[in-house]
Amino acid sequence: MSVSSVSSESNESSEPSAETKAKADPDGAYRPIPDADRVPPRALGGGIVKLTSIAKTFYRGKEPIHVLERLDLDVPEGSFEALMGPSGSGKSTLLNIIAGLDRPTSGTVHVAGADLTRMSDGELAKWRSQTIGFVFQSFNLIPVLTAAQNVELPLLLTPLSGADRKKRVATALRVVGLEDRMEHYPRQLSGGQEQRVAIARAIVNDPKIIVADEPTGDLDRKSADDVLTLMEKLNKELGKTIFMVTHDPAAAERAGVRRKLDKGALL
Amino acid sequence: MVPVRYNTRSLLVRKITTTLTAAGIALVVFVFAAAQMFGEGAKRAMLASGRADSVIILRKGSDAELSSGIGNDYKKLGDLPGVAQVAGVGAIGEIVIVITAELADGSGGISNVLVRGTPPEGLAFRPEVKIVSGRAPKPGTNEVIVGKAISGRFKGVGPGQSFELRRNRPLQVVGEFTAAGASYESEVWGDLDVIRKYLGRESVVSSVRVRLTDSSKFEAYRMAVEADKVFSVKAMRERDYYRKQSEGTQFLVYGFTGIAILFSLAAMLGAAITMNGAVANRTREIGTLRALGFSRGSILVSFVLEAMLLTLIGGTAGVVLVQILSLFSFRTMNFMTFSDVVITFQATPGIVIGALVFSAVMGLLGGLIPAIRASRVSPVEAMRG
Amino acid sequence: MNVATYPTRNLFRRRGRTILTLIAIALTVLIFNVLRTCDHGWQVGAEEAAKDRLATRHKVSITMQLPKRYIDDLRDPAKLPGIKAATWANWFGGKDPRERVPFFAAFAADHLSWFEVMDEMKVEPAALDAWKQTNNGAILGDVLAKTLGVKVGDDLTITSDIYPGDWKFKVVGIYMPLRKTADRNSMVFRWDYLNNKLHENPQSATPKDQIGWVMSRIDDPSKSAEISRSIDKMFDERDDQTVTMSERAFQLSFLGGASAIINAFKWVSLGILLIMLLILANTVAMSVRERTHEYGVLRAIGFSPRYVFNFIMGEAVLVALLGGLAGVLLTMVLINGVVGPFIEENMGAFFPYFRTPMHVFGLALIGAVVVGVISGVVPAIGASRRKVTDALRRVD
Repeated sequence: MSVSSVSSESNESSEPSAETKAKADPDGAYRPIPDADRVPPRALGGGIVKLTSIAKTFYRGKEPIHVLERLDLDVPEGSFEALMGPSGSGKSTLLNIIAGLDRPTSGTVHVAGADLTRMSDGELAKWRSQTIGFVFQSFNLIPVLTAAQNVELPLLLTPLSGADRKKRVATALRVVGLEDRMEHYPRQLSGGQEQRVAIARAIVNDPKIIVADEPTGDLDRKSADDVLTLMEKLNKELGKTIFMVTHDPAAAERAGVRRKLDKGALL
Repeated sequence: MVPVRYNTRSLLVRKITTTLTAAGIALVVFVFAAAQMFGEGAKRAMLASGRADSVIILRKGSDAELSSGIGNDYKKLGDLPGVAQVAGVGAIGEIVIVITAELADGSGGISNVLVRGTPPEGLAFRPEVKIVSGRAPKPGTNEVIVGKAISGRFKGVGPGQSFELRRNRPLQVVGEFTAAGASYESEVWGDLDVIRKYLGRESVVSSVRVRLTDSSKFEAYRMAVEADKVFSVKAMRERDYYRKQSEGTQFLVYGFTGIAILFSLAAMLGAAITMNGAVANRTREIGTLRALGFSRGSILVSFVLEAMLLTLIGGTAGVVLVQILSLFSFRTMNFMTFSDVVITFQATPGIVIGALVFSAVMGLLGGLIPAIRASRVSPVEAMRG
Repeated sequence: MNVATYPTRNLFRRRGRTILTLIAIALTVLIFNVLRTCDHGWQVGAEEAAKDRLATRHKVSITMQLPKRYIDDLRDPAKLPGIKAATWANWFGGKDPRERVPFFAAFAADHLSWFEVMDEMKVEPAALDAWKQTNNGAILGDVLAKTLGVKVGDDLTITSDIYPGDWKFKVVGIYMPLRKTADRNSMVFRWDYLNNKLHENPQSATPKDQIGWVMSRIDDPSKSAEISRSIDKMFDERDDQTVTMSERAFQLSFLGGASAIINAFKWVSLGILLIMLLILANTVAMSVRERTHEYGVLRAIGFSPRYVFNFIMGEAVLVALLGGLAGVLLTMVLINGVVGPFIEENMGAFFPYFRTPMHVFGLALIGAVVVGVISGVVPAIGASRRKVTDALRRVD
C-alpha cells in the first residue's frame, strides 16, 4: 500500500516578515538559539519533515500489528498540518516518529535537517528540547509549579542564565496572552488557559516544529477556538511549522494542509 | 450490601503497594507474636517448675534461694504435720550457688550458671526429672548432671566435661537431665554435702522443700513453720515461688510487646497512606458504585474491610514466619535468680489468634479515616472526566 | 527556579500523604533513637569507666567473698607494685521497706578509702569526717536521697535481701556525680559496721572479715593487663582465687547475662528501619506510578532518563531527611527533655544516664537517608527506563 501524500488545499507558507516578528517580540528577548548550539543539520533536499518508506510494527504477544506501512511524507517548512483519522489508524504513532519520540521499524526520518534514525536516545532528547515543542491533549502542566515555572522547564536544559530565562518566559506568556497569570497554578486556570500555557512552554525554546496531539480534545468550543487562533498566530507570525493530530473537524479547518490516515495509509 | 469482591480485586491489582504495606504489618506482628511466645515459654517453664503440693521454705526476708540461708536443723521442718515422706525423707535441704562461667560460643562473654547441691533424695523428690544421657551422679562424689537447656552453652559444663567450683575442687559432668520444661533444666545438680564442703558452707542450706500429703494442708503448715521464733523462715507454695521468679523475665515480655505496639503505630500510618492513595485514585470508581446504589455506609464498611484484609494478609505472613522461632531458645539472665535461664519460644493457638486480631485492629484503625473519605465521594464524581 | 524546584515542590502535591509519611518516618526515627539509647544506656557505665582502675573479685562468682587480708597484700607495693590505692565493698542487697524506690544499690565499703578511689563521686570533706565519727553513717547519691526523702542528719532504715532484720543508718553525707553518666542511686555505709553487726552473736556461723570486691587505682593505665595478671597470680595458690580486670571489663561483665537481650534490641532497631523503608518505598512507588504520564511529558520535552531518575531519588531522599530531622527533634524534646530525666530519677539504678547521644542522632539521620535512597531506587529506575511513548499513553 504505497501511497504518496496528497495535499488538498495548502496555503502559501512563507517566512513571516521581520516586521511581524518584531511586533510579536518587542524586547528582542526572544532570540533564536544560535545554530552553533543546535544539533548540526545534515543538508538534504525536501521539506522540514521528510519521511521515506516508514513502517512501524507493534507486537501483541507474538502477533505483529503493522500500524504504518511504506509511508512517505514531505512537509514544507512553515506549514500548518492537520492529521485526521479513525482511532487506531496510527496517527499518534506517526506523530511520535516525527517528534523523535519513537523509531520506525524501517525507513528514514529526516526532521529539521536531522537524520533521526541515526541518533541515539540521548541525542534525540537533546534534539527534541531544541527543535520540537509539545502540546498534549491533557495533563500537560505540572500541577505543583506555577504557569511561569512550567513554561521555564524546557529552559533548564539550556545554558541560559536565570535572568534570560525569566525574560523568555515572560515573552512566551505574552505571546499566548497570559502574562498576568504567571504566578498562578494550573488548578487556578481554566482548561483553555492551561492549554495556552502549554503552548507557551512549547514555544519558549524557539523550536522549529510544534507537535500537537489532540490539543483541543478536552476543551469547550470557545476555549478550543482561542487555542486554534493562537496556533494560527504562531504559524503565520512566528513561522512555526505545526503538525497537529486531531479528531475535531473545526480544528482541522484552521490548518493549512489536511491529511487523512486510514489503516496506516496517508490519504 | 457491601461490594467485597470489588475491594478484594483492588488489592490484587495494586500488587506492589499491597506487598509493601503487608510486609510492614508482617514485621510488626512478628515482633508482637515473638514477645508473646517468649512469655508463653517463660510461663511454661514456671508452671512446670512448681507443684501445688510442694512447699519451699526460705529465710524470712529473702526472695530467692541464692540469698537465703537456713541452719542445719532444718530437718525439723519435715517433722511437722501434713508433710509426706518422699524416698523416706520429710524435708529436703539444698544449697544454691551461682558461678560465673564463660560462654562456649567463643565470644568471651560470661554469664551466671546456677549450681544446686541436692541430697540423694533430691532426684526422687522430683519425679519429672529424667536422665536423658549419661547417668545419675553417685551420692557423696563430685559428680554432677547438667540440665539439657544449658548443656553445652558454657565452657566445661557439658557431658563428659568438668569445671572447677573452686580451686582444686572440680565437678565432673556425668549426664544430662530434663525436667518437663521446668527451670531446673537451666541448672547443674550435684551432691549437697560435697558442694557445701567445697564452698566451706557445711552449716547452711539455701532452701528447704517438703511435700504435703495434700495441697490443702498448706495453710496449716505455713502457720506452723512461721510461728517458730527460732527459725525465722517463711513458707511458700513452690508454684507461687516460681511465679514470682518468672517476674524476672516478665519485664522482657512487656518491653518487647511495648516495642511491637510502637511499631504498630508506624505500620498503621503506612496502611493509612496506602488506603488514602487508593481512595484518591479510585474516586471515579467509588462514584460509580454510589451511583449504582451502594450507600455511604456500605462504602465505608467495604473500605474498612479492604484495609483489614490488607493487614490480615500481612498478619498471616507474620504469624507463619514467627513459627520458625519455636525452633529456637533464648538465653537470658533471670534477674531474680541472678542466673541464666533458657526459655524456648512456645506458640499457642491463642497467640496466633491474638496476633491476627492485632493485625485486623491495625487495619481497622489505619483504614478508618480513608474509608470515611471514600464514603464521602458523591455519585457525581463518576461522571467527572 | 532550578532543577531542584520540581522534586521539592512535589512534596506539596498530595499534602496529606506527605504529612502522613513524614509523621511515620519521624515516629520510626524516634523509636530507633529510643532503642539505641537503651543500648547506649546499658553500656555507658562501661564506656565511661575509669581507665586507671581495676576490679578484683572472687574467681568463682561475684556472689562469693574474699578474705579481707587480701587488701593488705594489695596495698603492699613490695608485693604488688603499680597499685596506688585500693578499696573494697560488699554488696548489701538493700531494699526500701516502704518501697518508695523499686531498686537501689546499697553496699558496705571501707569508709577510709572508698571515695578516694571512686573519685567520680564527690563528697564534702566534712561529710567524710562525720562518717569517721558515725559507725552507722551512710552516704547517699543525690537522686536516691531525694527519692527516699532524706537529707543529712536524718535516720534511714532499710532491709536486705541477704541479711535478716532491719538496718538503721544515719545519713551523714550526699555525694554528687562529677560525670553526667555516674550513678546517683547508691547508698554506701561503713564496712566495719556490717562486719561487726554480723558477728555480734559469737555463735554466728558466717565467716568474719569477708569482702565482696576490690577496686584499685593503678599509676599506669597502660600496665592494666600486666598488673591484673600479677594480682591474680599472687592469689592463685590460695583457696579463694581472684580474677582481676579493668573497670570497663568489670562493668561489661554484668551485661553478659543480658547479651541476648542486647542483641535482640539491636535487631529490633534494624527492624524499625526496615519498617521505615517499607513505608517510604510504598509512598514513593505510589507517587511515581501516579505521575507516569508526567514523567513522559518531561522526557518528551527533552529531560534525559538521568533527570527523571534524579528527580525521583531527590524527592525520596528529601522526604526521608525531613522526616528524619523531625524525628530527631521529637527525640530531643521527648527523650532528652521529658522521658530521660524521668527514667534517671525512677530507674536510676539501671539507667543512671538516659539521654540520646549525638552519635545516635547521626546514625538515625544516616539511616533515614539510606532508607530514602533504597526507597527511591527501584521506582526511579523503572520510571527512567520506561519508554516515553508508553508513559504518555497512560493518562492517570
